[in-house]
Amino acid sequence: MIKLENIFKWYQVSGARSFVLKDINLHIEQGDFVSIMGPSGSGKSTLLNVIGLLDEPNEGKYYFMDEDVLALKAKKRAALFQSHMGYVFQSYHLIDELTVYENIETPLIYKNLSSKERKAIVADMLDRFGIVGKKELFPSQLSGGQQQVVGIARALAGSPKLLLADEPTGNLNSKQGEDIMSLFKQLNEEGVTIIQVTHSEKNAAYGHRIINLLDGQLKDI
Amino acid sequence: MNNHLKIAYRSLLKNKGYTAINIIGLSTAIVAVLFIGIWIQNQFLYDNFYPNKTSIYKLYNRSENQGQIYVGDITMAPAAAILKSEYPEVEYSARLYWTTENLITTGDTKVKSNGNEVDPDFIKIFSFPVIEGSSESMLNSPNNIVLTEQLAKSLFGNTPALNKVVQFDSGESYKVSGVLEDLPSYTDFNFKYLVPLNENKTKDYGSNWNTNTYYTFLRLKTGSDVEQFNNKISSLVHDNAADLKGTSVFLYPQSKTHLYSKFRDGIPNGGKIDQIRLVGVIGLLILVIACINFVNLSTARAQKRSKEIGVRKIVGATKLVLVKQFLTESILLTIISGTTALLIALGALPVFNRVLGQALFIEWSNPIVWAILIVFLLLTGLLAGIYPAFVLSTIQPIKSLKVSLKRNRLLNFREVLVVLQFSIAVILIIATMVIRQQITFAGEREVGYHADQLIEIPIEGNIEQHYQAIKTELINNRTASHITRTGWTVTADNASSSGNFSWEKATPEQQKNTVFTILRVSGDDFVHTLGLTLLEGRDINYETLLADSTAVLLNETAIKTMGLQNPIGKYFKWGDATFTIVGIVKDYISGSPYQTIRPLLIHPSKRYLQNMLIRTNEQFDAKQNLAHIETVIKKFNPNYPFNYQFVNEQFARKFKQQEQIGNLTFVFSLLAIIISCLGLFGLAAYITETRTKEIGIRKVLGASINNINILLSKDFIKLVIIAILIGAPIAWWSMNQWLNDFAYRIHIGWWLIASAGIMAVIVALVTVNVQSLRAARTNPIKSLRDE
Repeated sequence: MIKLENIFKWYQVSGARSFVLKDINLHIEQGDFVSIMGPSGSGKSTLLNVIGLLDEPNEGKYYFMDEDVLALKAKKRAALFQSHMGYVFQSYHLIDELTVYENIETPLIYKNLSSKERKAIVADMLDRFGIVGKKELFPSQLSGGQQQVVGIARALAGSPKLLLADEPTGNLNSKQGEDIMSLFKQLNEEGVTIIQVTHSEKNAAYGHRIINLLDGQLKDI
Repeated sequence: MNNHLKIAYRSLLKNKGYTAINIIGLSTAIVAVLFIGIWIQNQFLYDNFYPNKTSIYKLYNRSENQGQIYVGDITMAPAAAILKSEYPEVEYSARLYWTTENLITTGDTKVKSNGNEVDPDFIKIFSFPVIEGSSESMLNSPNNIVLTEQLAKSLFGNTPALNKVVQFDSGESYKVSGVLEDLPSYTDFNFKYLVPLNENKTKDYGSNWNTNTYYTFLRLKTGSDVEQFNNKISSLVHDNAADLKGTSVFLYPQSKTHLYSKFRDGIPNGGKIDQIRLVGVIGLLILVIACINFVNLSTARAQKRSKEIGVRKIVGATKLVLVKQFLTESILLTIISGTTALLIALGALPVFNRVLGQALFIEWSNPIVWAILIVFLLLTGLLAGIYPAFVLSTIQPIKSLKVSLKRNRLLNFREVLVVLQFSIAVILIIATMVIRQQITFAGEREVGYHADQLIEIPIEGNIEQHYQAIKTELINNRTASHITRTGWTVTADNASSSGNFSWEKATPEQQKNTVFTILRVSGDDFVHTLGLTLLEGRDINYETLLADSTAVLLNETAIKTMGLQNPIGKYFKWGDATFTIVGIVKDYISGSPYQTIRPLLIHPSKRYLQNMLIRTNEQFDAKQNLAHIETVIKKFNPNYPFNYQFVNEQFARKFKQQEQIGNLTFVFSLLAIIISCLGLFGLAAYITETRTKEIGIRKVLGASINNINILLSKDFIKLVIIAILIGAPIAWWSMNQWLNDFAYRIHIGWWLIASAGIMAVIVALVTVNVQSLRAARTNPIKSLRDE
């Protein structure tokens, strides 16, 4: 599903290149559950952003479902992103002004779905994640764990094939964190490919395999 | 205080974009207000600066005819002398004959200059400052001349002018009996020299009570009550000329003649003051818009500054201290803007003067000017700063350190202000469009005659005597194709109208409604010279056909209001005399292009023909024709300077005042819009800044640049649309009020309002889009970083 070849990403710092990603080669199959680990500043989030099409490498090739992503035009890339990827953040990033219902609905609006279709999908999501009773609430009225559940529901509303999660449990207590992780596991079993960035060995263990990053390079274990 | 200043200075420096927007907006507004201020001040100074201004009056003439009251400032010749000799309240009285231009010669120096003939008291009434000579005896002898300083300098250099002799090109010599200081720019007088009024020379225009020829000025003794005096003189005209029934004279303060010169039904009804009010309101509105910018930007910044304020409060700052600090900041900003504005004003004043056709100036040496400026700046600073200061200083420290402020109400205060701002801008846009359209509309109105290549020459000196010879010569040398004479300037509005007419089958109603404008003509070639269209019948041929002494031409409107069928050959009575209608001419504009055309009666006369009208040969250019005419006129009338007017230029002058208003509103609405947009620009910047996180999330959720752009613009466009809904009716109503002054006027169409609205929306959209596009293009991972 994902093939990265010789990916380099650097910043120009006073004339010299400061590498964030160095010669990354990576293969991820459909249905996989991958955890990216590594110390702060090792390039985990950048790698996730490159995979999630939010950032571009300076060098290298990226094939997503056999499509040369970096050669695509911006519009096509955005369409690819919309139909195949969902994002989950450490600090949830819900829109404060919108209710739970509206937050989940937002990506569907951008996919130009009709209001009837949207209604059906959002209802399905609310049901699936057990938050029907909270649909009229605003993010500030929810606990962190609940907010993250909404964040995941929103990410899955567009029925993506790939779920990208950047420290999804970083702001949660351990009980909430475990709930989220078992949710991930369940989703993976239902067929969603998941790539998560995490600090925690325990959370990483939920995945099928672990990728270690150090100073922008993949470290073989 | 010092500390406040330092902090204010640093804060302004730190937020360069915010400071720049505020300074540009405020200083533009201050420049506008400054210009409007000096223009208004200048207008109020007009003829309102004489030492005895409270006891100086101009004589006005009021005549009533058929229920129509006409008030004018041109008065009868004998009035001045009788008023002074028979009424003890009158200290001085003097007449002034209209301004003429003369070539003045001394030795080899020749200077063309304009001046007036006046009675000797004239200088004493107005106490013009004297440089040489004594104001007591200045114009006592008929060959005295009084010069103004500038003219004296150009004639005699720096040597004293007193008792030197100058010649006019008509041959008369004058001895300089005094030199006055130059007139200021703010007077309606327009003379560089004064000579004693020679009634013999102007007698042709009438020196009896029946004719109005001169301006008359009076100075009453201190303590005289002008109302009582006006009652006393109410029957003056009737007492001296029993046949003048509806005519009387009254005194009107000279200080009011510039601004309050319009009369309707005999009662003062504004004048230039209306224009001043309009422009003054525009000036205030511009300042309001700029202050709104300030308030909006400062409160929008509250979100960014709330942390700073919280920390200050926790460290122990009281509310008062914070209010003071923010006020210092706003006043400092106003003062910087004020200084910038002064510099801009210095550079832009000549441009402004050119647009207005004025000679405005700023009295830099006057301490009052500076005092007003400083007070004005402090007030603006306070006005703009007080609300933000209180809002910012009441922010609760704990809250401000924790969460960001939220927006939830339907319209918050800031949005109300934006609505207000854009309502004003919409009103100004509509006003500008309406004024422009009205001017164009009147300008495109069919004049009804050929105004091009038509020259008018006043009949003075020997011209009357040699008229036939002049005419023959000009036509023979092919300079002119047609020549005629008229009693009034053809473009003039004030040709007399009077009643007592009757005709076949005239109902009393028709008789009452038919008020004629009457034009006296010589009865030779009038229709052809003016280029009128003759609808029926023929021109008057009084010159060759003696029987035509009773022939008249009427215009279409006259026939319509009189209700005449088959008018040619019909008789009609004017008083006791009987006239025959020989021709009907197509309507043409004789008065204001903004008024409806009135019934016109053209009748022949041998007397009181004041103008010669020449239709020049279009095969030659105007300059060449004019030179030919000058040679011929000079040959027969060598003692007079060659005076002429192009009729199309006379006609164009009728548009001057409206065009001035049009230019003013255009310049200031443009400023208003620019300042409003600056504010919107700044506000949009802050709003997008506070929403960057949201924008980031939406982008990650798949929003396109367009989606984001619409999201951000939507809120502002909503405000602008509300502003249009508020501003359009106000503009529609007030511009209809303005248009009511014109009989020939446009009607404000919905499309005009709509296009003004669309313009406002587009301008706002472009402004906001600069910000929102930038926000939409930002990579979301920048705004969503978790670390």
